[in-house]
Amino acid sequence: MRDAYVVGAGQSNYGSFPDESYRSLFRTAVENTVDSVDNGIAIEEIDEAYVGTLGVGGRQLGLAGPAVTEHVGLHGVPVTRVENACAASGYAVRQAVMAVRSGMADVALAGGVEVMTDLSGDAVRYWLGVSGETEWERLSGTTFAGVYAQMASAHMREYGTTKEQLSHVAVKNHDNGAKNPKAQLGFTCTLEDAVNAPSVADPLTLYHCCPTTDGAAAALIVSEDVVEEFTDEPIRVAGVGAASDRVGLFQRDSYNAVPAAEKAGASAYEEAELGPEALDFAEVHDCFAIAELMAYEDLGFCERGEAGPFVESGATRRDGELPVNTSGGLKSKGHPIGATGAGQVVEAFDQLRGRAGERQLDDPKVGLTHNVGGSGGAAVVHIFEKEEGSA
Amino acid sequence: MSRGIRSIGAYAPSNRISADAFADAWGRFDAPGIETKAVPDADEDALTMGVEAARRALSVIGVDGADVDSLSFGTTSPPLAEEELTARLGSFLGVPDTAERRSYGGSTRAGVDALVDALGREGTELVIASDCPSGEPDDSREHAAGAGAVAFVVGADAPATVVERTEYTDTYPGTRFRQRGSDTIDGLDIGTYDRAAFIQPVAAAVSALDSKEADAVALQAPNGKLPYRATGPAGIDNGDVAAVETVSSLGDTAAASVPLSIVRSFEAGNDRTLAVAWGSGAGATALVIEGTAPVDAAIEGGSEIDYPAYLRRRGDIVGSKPDGGAAHVPVPTWRRSLPQRHRHEAGRCPECGAVAFPPEGACASCGSLAAFEPVELPLDGVVEAATTIGQGGAPPEFADQQAKQGAFGVAIVRFEADGEVAIPMQATGDVEVDRTVRAVPRRIYVEESVPRYGLKALPK
Repeated sequence: MRDAYVVGAGQSNYGSFPDESYRSLFRTAVENTVDSVDNGIAIEEIDEAYVGTLGVGGRQLGLAGPAVTEHVGLHGVPVTRVENACAASGYAVRQAVMAVRSGMADVALAGGVEVMTDLSGDAVRYWLGVSGETEWERLSGTTFAGVYAQMASAHMREYGTTKEQLSHVAVKNHDNGAKNPKAQLGFTCTLEDAVNAPSVADPLTLYHCCPTTDGAAAALIVSEDVVEEFTDEPIRVAGVGAASDRVGLFQRDSYNAVPAAEKAGASAYEEAELGPEALDFAEVHDCFAIAELMAYEDLGFCERGEAGPFVESGATRRDGELPVNTSGGLKSKGHPIGATGAGQVVEAFDQLRGRAGERQLDDPKVGLTHNVGGSGGAAVVHIFEKEEGSA
Repeated sequence: MSRGIRSIGAYAPSNRISADAFADAWGRFDAPGIETKAVPDADEDALTMGVEAARRALSVIGVDGADVDSLSFGTTSPPLAEEELTARLGSFLGVPDTAERRSYGGSTRAGVDALVDALGREGTELVIASDCPSGEPDDSREHAAGAGAVAFVVGADAPATVVERTEYTDTYPGTRFRQRGSDTIDGLDIGTYDRAAFIQPVAAAVSALDSKEADAVALQAPNGKLPYRATGPAGIDNGDVAAVETVSSLGDTAAASVPLSIVRSFEAGNDRTLAVAWGSGAGATALVIEGTAPVDAAIEGGSEIDYPAYLRRRGDIVGSKPDGGAAHVPVPTWRRSLPQRHRHEAGRCPECGAVAFPPEGACASCGSLAAFEPVELPLDGVVEAATTIGQGGAPPEFADQQAKQGAFGVAIVRFEADGEVAIPMQATGDVEVDRTVRAVPRRIYVEESVPRYGLKALPK
């Protein structure tokens, strides 16, 4: 099996952009991706594309892939829309890796896009509920805030996790996002701000929930046969893991963990032949603060039940032993559903290539991205490694 | 013992509003003799209240829904003006598909009419009288309008029997009516005429009895004053009416009014109860009941609401349905899940014995695709995960309910049935992890104009 490499990654700004369309945002992401390739790349060199989008608002539910790739001049190539809720473009990246590793493509584009802020509040709440289990879970009256709040209640009950510990996630991620010029909510917040913010779904406050976001992101995945044409500093896709689970939380084996993420992480570690101790940083799916804490445990950053004290200790701050969500995460950088997974890869690429500006870590070698769909019905984990000997 | 009433179950919503709250809002209260009245929550109606009452009537004497040979339902406030609602009632209660079904309406006598007809049939009959009338906010009938439900199990060898019955009709149009297509009862408020429309048939029906002697009189109560206008002409004692009245605390319960007073009389252990139901138009039915039957009644109030909260629950100050669409579960899909919606019917995997909910697809335990065997779950479960969905945090299909009753709890509830299943449920109040809850019938939402019913979690 051939190795796959990331040679470029880029994103649009995340935020609310009434003057942009899903196509124009995707175009910005692709242009930034192309610009990030050391030796340049012509759009015609792309063999295959995968586009992640949920289609919030229903603007182009059918053929959303060609609708954006044709717009950026990627004419005639095979393009597939990937839908796995919030893990859509994490899975798009995985599809691109599969295409390259299999030999069917040498250069594959993986991206995602979502526009969420041009809808009425009711319409947004409708769309935020479509990836929950529709017949039972949603009809108990929940959107995702409610489902993750139930997970938080179970985590608190089992492990004594506190609202303050949840709030540390917000404080840390906002501190990082404030240093990310592409972040939607690029401001800092205090622990008091987070704890005392209005309740969204008890115990989750406003600061424990990510915003709705417009944005797009993309990455270029190439084969080992052609990687040298594009860069002298290749980032290898060292490990990929993915798993699915029952869509409704009530149908799962655990309410205070995400079994699909644990499984995806284990597969990625195994393929990369390394463990969490080898990571220099991670971008995890913090759609809600409890999700980041569960990610720590699912991915083995700390023992099961220890995520609260772990975040409280500062271990996952930029200056900690394992920085998490240096981009600001979904909480501060933003969460344009279909773009989020690819956007995490953008941060991994930027960190590994020393492009992360004020939030740059000190020469990281290995980074992980963790992208979860729904409340855990789908999960995908990638491990990226800077090649030994590269500059 | 012969055919008669074997048991009674009763239910009233726990919300109460006081006459004072109306007086504060309007400067007056137009329903004399009413101190408080029961108010259905935003997800309650005559059907859900009827199921509550029926569950109690059956369980108090250990009769199963499957033992019911016929089911009848009397109400003036059906959630749908046309549709055989006994089908869904029977589904909630596990009544066999072969059972006879009858619906009664159009008159506040409907509940007693259903009871009378049941006495003339054979087998075990479940009679449900459930009502929650409403009127325009400034109308005296709306000020009186309460809510409540009663269910009778009627059958052989009953401890309470009807020993005499009379009926009388006198034509009085326009005293209390609901126009076609309208949700609200109305009237012309012609004082003497209205009173005569009540007094004449009541007095005539009672006078026609061979013996009207009774320990208590369960008399129709459109408000708390009108019944006592009829006692003199009917030759009955005010005290005997007052002893078993429910109108002062529950309001006008229409088709359930007389049945609720029968409940009170049975609870008091009265050997002989005179029941007199009245319906506008006008007619009256008088029954003499000897003996009492076991009673399980849940008609005490739990929460006091103020007048704005009352108007919200009535939908009087709630905006139109929001846009954005609802979780679309097509009616045929919904129908396939009715055993789960109405009775939480789970399934046992024939391969490994694990219990699943909903009982469909591959067994989560062993992966078998063999058809599940039906498993009945207990009504009580324990909360495993919980939250509260605040105002504005609900999916659009619940926005109307939230506008009417505010934040609601949501929980994953574990039920034990020789194995465990977990079910996501909306709660009727605040819930937290480890709390015991009971699955109670409520309206889930209205989609494509069709009310969809299911079970919600009532904190115990």
